[in-house]
Amino acid sequence: MRQVLRSALVAAAVVIAGAVWLAGMAGAAEILQIGGIGSLSGGGTAWGLAIQRGAEIAIDEVNAKGGLKVGNETYTVKLIMYDDAYSGQGGTTAATRLITEDKVRFIVGPIGSAPVLGTVAVTTPAKVLLMSDGYAPTILKNDAKSPYNFRVTNTTNEFMPAAVKWMRQHFPDKNRVGILSTNDATGQSVLPLMKKFYEEAGFKVTFQEFFERGTQEFTPLLTRMLASGIDIYEVDGNSPGDAALLVKQIRQLGFTGAVIQIGGPSIEEIIAVAGPLADGFLSYDMFDFGASAARQFIQAYHKKYGEGIINGQTPAFYNGTKILLEAIRRAGSLDTAKVRDTLEHMEGYDAGLYGPLVWGGMKNYGVNHQLLLPFFITEVRDGKTQPLIQLRPNKE
Amino acid sequence: MIDDTAAGAAVRSGAAALSAPRWALAGLTALVMGVWPLVYPHSFALHIGTLVLLYCIGAASLHLVARMGHISLAHAAFMGIGGYTSVLLVMRLGWPFALSLPAAAGAAALLGLAIGPVLLRLSGKYFVLVTFLFGEIVRMVFSEWRDLTGGSNGIFNIPRPYPLFESPVAYYYLALGAMALCVGLCLRLVRSEIGRTMDALREGEQLTECSGVPVLRIKVTVFVIACAMVGIQGALQSHFVHFISPESFNIFESLNFVVMNVIGGLTNLLGPLLGALFLVLLPELLRDYVNLQRVIYGIILVVVMAFLPGGLVELGRRLRAGGARLLGRGEG
Amino acid sequence: MLNMMLNPIILGQVVVNGLSLSSIYVLVAMGFTLLFGIMRVVNFAHGEFAMLGGFALLFLYGQLKLPFFVAVLLAAAIVAVGGLVLERLVFRWFYQKMFQSMIGLLGLSIALTYSAVLIWDVHARSIPPAFTAILRVGGLILPLDRLVVFGVSIVVLVLFYLLIRHTRMGLAMRATAQDLEIAEVQGINSTRIYQLAFVVAIFMTALAGGLYGQVYSLSPFMGEVPLLKAFIVVILGGMGSIPGAAIGGLILGMSESFLATFFGSAVSNFASFGVVILLLIVRPWGLMGTPE
Repeated sequence: MRQVLRSALVAAAVVIAGAVWLAGMAGAAEILQIGGIGSLSGGGTAWGLAIQRGAEIAIDEVNAKGGLKVGNETYTVKLIMYDDAYSGQGGTTAATRLITEDKVRFIVGPIGSAPVLGTVAVTTPAKVLLMSDGYAPTILKNDAKSPYNFRVTNTTNEFMPAAVKWMRQHFPDKNRVGILSTNDATGQSVLPLMKKFYEEAGFKVTFQEFFERGTQEFTPLLTRMLASGIDIYEVDGNSPGDAALLVKQIRQLGFTGAVIQIGGPSIEEIIAVAGPLADGFLSYDMFDFGASAARQFIQAYHKKYGEGIINGQTPAFYNGTKILLEAIRRAGSLDTAKVRDTLEHMEGYDAGLYGPLVWGGMKNYGVNHQLLLPFFITEVRDGKTQPLIQLRPNKE
Repeated sequence: MIDDTAAGAAVRSGAAALSAPRWALAGLTALVMGVWPLVYPHSFALHIGTLVLLYCIGAASLHLVARMGHISLAHAAFMGIGGYTSVLLVMRLGWPFALSLPAAAGAAALLGLAIGPVLLRLSGKYFVLVTFLFGEIVRMVFSEWRDLTGGSNGIFNIPRPYPLFESPVAYYYLALGAMALCVGLCLRLVRSEIGRTMDALREGEQLTECSGVPVLRIKVTVFVIACAMVGIQGALQSHFVHFISPESFNIFESLNFVVMNVIGGLTNLLGPLLGALFLVLLPELLRDYVNLQRVIYGIILVVVMAFLPGGLVELGRRLRAGGARLLGRGEG
Repeated sequence: MLNMMLNPIILGQVVVNGLSLSSIYVLVAMGFTLLFGIMRVVNFAHGEFAMLGGFALLFLYGQLKLPFFVAVLLAAAIVAVGGLVLERLVFRWFYQKMFQSMIGLLGLSIALTYSAVLIWDVHARSIPPAFTAILRVGGLILPLDRLVVFGVSIVVLVLFYLLIRHTRMGLAMRATAQDLEIAEVQGINSTRIYQLAFVVAIFMTALAGGLYGQVYSLSPFMGEVPLLKAFIVVILGGMGSIPGAAIGGLILGMSESFLATFFGSAVSNFASFGVVILLLIVRPWGLMGTPE
């Protein structure tokens, strides 16, 4: 009898879950649904939440002002966020569901080459507008010329030339650079580019190596790198957790040269993990959290999500979502071709955090769908970040 | 699925479980699977439906291996071999899919044949561990051999096999056909003389060996067939999703196949099919609970395993038994 | 490369790095092998107990500012005793059921990880370091925190060995592991013994998690790597064998350090996995296990 009861309970749980699902699918009028895709499970979870939170803050702002006016209709904007499990197939499934089930026409996210490529495979044929971030150049550069997708953050191609030029001036007598990178999609596409830009600026990359994702103990590899003799250690586009451990461990091994991460931003986590060993660390930084323009955004964030560290991608997706909503408003239509055309001609619009909007990318990708954001080189001093200089990507 | 088991239980609880109602049920299920896309050609439902069918192939093929008492954690690796083989042949060498699909099955089978004779000598838990390591090695090869596989960036813009299969409905039927063939073959195997040997192997390998059965040969044969099938799934799925990377075939994907089998039930071919249905649908059912979905998913795994150690197939059996007991008590 | 290999300082550094890696591997693997040896469960949620140990230490040492060694032991004890709730609710269903335990505890692992995401958010952080000094001995570099990890591991392992070998409790545990039915006939209360073994195993894991979270970093996902390493170490040493876990951990740590330093990461991964596979083919019961 007990067993029957248990079985019945399990069955009932499944039925209820199904019913809730069906009920949840019923839509409502006057609501504009924006799709969100990001990693809400697995190692990329920090990025998935960054997309969700950035987009939600932007949407809250618009709704607080009475909603989004599109033509004669005023919509309350709503985000529908799905998990891509940081995989290509996850991106495909999430995008398919957003488009066919939820009838979404605009999507923000995901982050990461694999999920973005999986998502693009669905959104491009469906003519759905996508504002995403993955480092692989092929996301924008393809035969179809990416008619409906835009990249909302800088990638190596954008920030590297200006950053390396600054480094050459800052370190006139340091020449030998060592790079260690994850062998995941980002690492494998970024490392060769980094090497190219470093060598064009007159540095010599004397050590480069990939490590398996999930490695926590880098001491053996770092010992190997130090034995080869380097002046500058470039942390590369490693995930924040990995980057933090790399910085901590190389200092514990007694390295006294420069430690810099132009590959990607993880500065807050590096301070949290490496503590005093992070002092003197230099980093590419997407965003100056100390700037006065950021204050309102940071307040909104802490009010809604607590006092935790704000991931560097959060303001970028806040920015991307605001730009998208503004484009829909200006186009006065939900037709994605019209919104796309409006978006392409929105240069000069200021969403509040990064100054006037600039598109680029024609030279590298054959299409001007790459958002060019100003960025910083930041130094850690006494556990605090100190922006040294603001740089801008070249518009090419 | 709920309807299926409930209806099955209802049908079977009245009379003794004869084969006639079972056949009727199977026929009805097949009819529903064959007809619903024509009645309700909804593309997300078709997308998920296709994935369910593809995972049925892999899960059912792993069932063959599990039936012999071996749990392989390298199944996704063989799926990857199939996937990469077909995709590379089509995209690099311009082979037609009609040839690359058998090649995918062949490549996975060959690798199975190469390692099977060595690995299948190991028993129970050691087999689990060695296949786990082997699967990881294959995945690392996918990500390190950058010239061939594109490394961790994977391969994207993978075309559908023929223009015909651009349509979700057509691809669904392709998957349905492949699934019917593979699961049909599994059923034949399980019901044959070999199937009885497989069961005997699980119960006691030495005893079977003593009775003059060529144990290793049978095990390798079944293992190779299973690898070929999951290779087919890999090929079909890669062309369906348009994108593959080494991470599509990692240890968690292998574990997923095992979870499907254990959740569904290891004793019956119906188990992996139920498991595949359950595990592909579950994340979709939970999608609206964005931040809680994984927690609920984990708890469901715990609960199912704790209360139904025999898997979901046990649910039907329990309900039926319970129903009969209730009836009996009522009469008495 | 030969130059590098013959350089005594680099060689010494390789040994130091390897020992510090090994000691953490051994601690995590010990609990894993104990649970398998006595209850026949494959604890896929093992890494999550390490994660909980890490967060407990963060609270006790980072926030309450208890003295370090008190905090380390107390954090592990809290997780171990608190874990008894999960022992009652979850683990008890899976004793002596290998396959079901794998999947059920995989579910527990997922549920714990993502509950931790909801509670503590996803980002990596670290437990404030207790020891920041870096000792230099004749060119060798010895971060003090690594030495502490090494020392604590040795002490815990010795105590654990004494418990298993030289107490009545240990005897009862070994008897239960060998033959459950006979042990019960002899008057051993297996439920009690299971609880005890569970507490001991989780204590070591949570302790390792705390040290791990301090030397490396702490996040809800940190359990994955220790679990995979424990898995390999335990296979290498022989499932259920306690000296096997110690030797397996030592071999894995040393070989990773040696191979990665001299041959790089890819070679190190392929070689270490390949060697373990070969070993298992020749000697499936592992280095110290017993054939069935």
